[in-house]
Amino acid sequence: MKKVVMPLVMVAILALLPFLGVQYAGLSYLFGVIIPYTATVVLLAGFVFRMVDWLRRPVPFRIPTTCGQEKSLEWIRYDRLESPHRFWEAAARVLFEVFFFRSLFRNTKAELHKDSNLVYGSHKWLWLGGLAFHWSLLIIVLRHSRFFFPMVPGFTDFLEHADGFFDITLPTFYSTDAVVLAAITFLVFRRLNDAKMRLLSLQTDYFPLFLIAAIVVVGVLMRYVVRLNIMPVKDQMLRLVNFSFDAPGEIGALFYVHLFLVSVLAIYFPFSKLMHAGAIFLSPTRNLPNDSREKRHINPWNAAIKFRTYSEYEDDYREKMKKAKLPIEKQ
Amino acid sequence: MKSRKLLWLVTFAAISLFAAFYLFSNGEAETPQKPLARVSVVDSTKCIAPKEFMRANHMQVLHGWERSVVRDGDRVHIASNGSRFQKSLGTCLGCHNNRLFCFSCHSYANVKPKCWNCHLSPMETQ
Repeated sequence: MKKVVMPLVMVAILALLPFLGVQYAGLSYLFGVIIPYTATVVLLAGFVFRMVDWLRRPVPFRIPTTCGQEKSLEWIRYDRLESPHRFWEAAARVLFEVFFFRSLFRNTKAELHKDSNLVYGSHKWLWLGGLAFHWSLLIIVLRHSRFFFPMVPGFTDFLEHADGFFDITLPTFYSTDAVVLAAITFLVFRRLNDAKMRLLSLQTDYFPLFLIAAIVVVGVLMRYVVRLNIMPVKDQMLRLVNFSFDAPGEIGALFYVHLFLVSVLAIYFPFSKLMHAGAIFLSPTRNLPNDSREKRHINPWNAAIKFRTYSEYEDDYREKMKKAKLPIEKQ
Repeated sequence: MKSRKLLWLVTFAAISLFAAFYLFSNGEAETPQKPLARVSVVDSTKCIAPKEFMRANHMQVLHGWERSVVRDGDRVHIASNGSRFQKSLGTCLGCHNNRLFCFSCHSYANVKPKCWNCHLSPMETQ
């Protein structure tokens, strides 16, 4: 239980820090300017560092996991996605994985039934929950671009329009807000529900979920309940985008909670499991074409083998072989 | 394989249908509406609250007005100094009659509440 409660307490403390700091200690400059810049620098530098570190690791052999017909003879139809043969096929495979989580779609669940039968069944809930979570998070992040551009770009307008499709409440209710909260709830309870999952889950699994949940909840509160004054927020975000170090205006403390939790997420990102965002592109079982039978892949740090041919051997021992009356190929 | 091709075809058809529908409906939205009668301007010469408060909190005030008028039929706003105002957009826009009064900030922050779905926009009346 400790590994569930500890992250929860940590997120609560992290949320309380900026609230108290801004409300009672007047630290709006720290939470509104210094910490966001620091977090951005840590996120970018850390992300690049981790990616470069991984990119430098040698991948000498092709180790894709395949589940389709490999490319062989002309007349045998092969599976371009499941057993990619060219770079572009492997790239498409990675992109499908990134956007649609194809490998999670094949998730199965093993259950021991009462009559002691082990039963395997399709289990797509994780796929559905993960997809809903990641897609709504992406849409929410893209929607936030309205704070970073003086003139709001067209795609943001389109996203807001599509997201506020139901056109209820004032301000308009965004469906992704509800979807992401539902998905996070599911993802947390998925870990808590099953004894095996409880055993497998660590603090590092719960912490990002709680952190993102807190960010979403604070955002929802600001938008629908408190109805925060947005003008100084936009001013401040535009200043940050323009690398200005001016002090922020009068903004409600809730905004600083939101911003601080996002900063914590950004700082936490490169050091944690969240790096799967970059790592998925580098996973060698996904991004390598399956061409081991067509091309010979030689380990680059193998020691060079020195071959000695028979003719060289004969050149060395010709006279001795003649004396011993052994047959010689070249006189 | 036939079914897969059919699936692609159906997907393509559905997407193009949606695209066509989207473009079409957009075009329709831009047709000019009939000019309606002007909002009767409520006579009020002072503001219901100080400027700074209204800048930061007008959305809560207007949302409260909307609720109490529509649900309780309470059309009278009593300010903190005891003066009474009619709960109406016209109370504000009667004095603040610059046609960009709402839009200059709202377009900057890209906040687009759907006030003008029912109410007459100052863009159309002034």
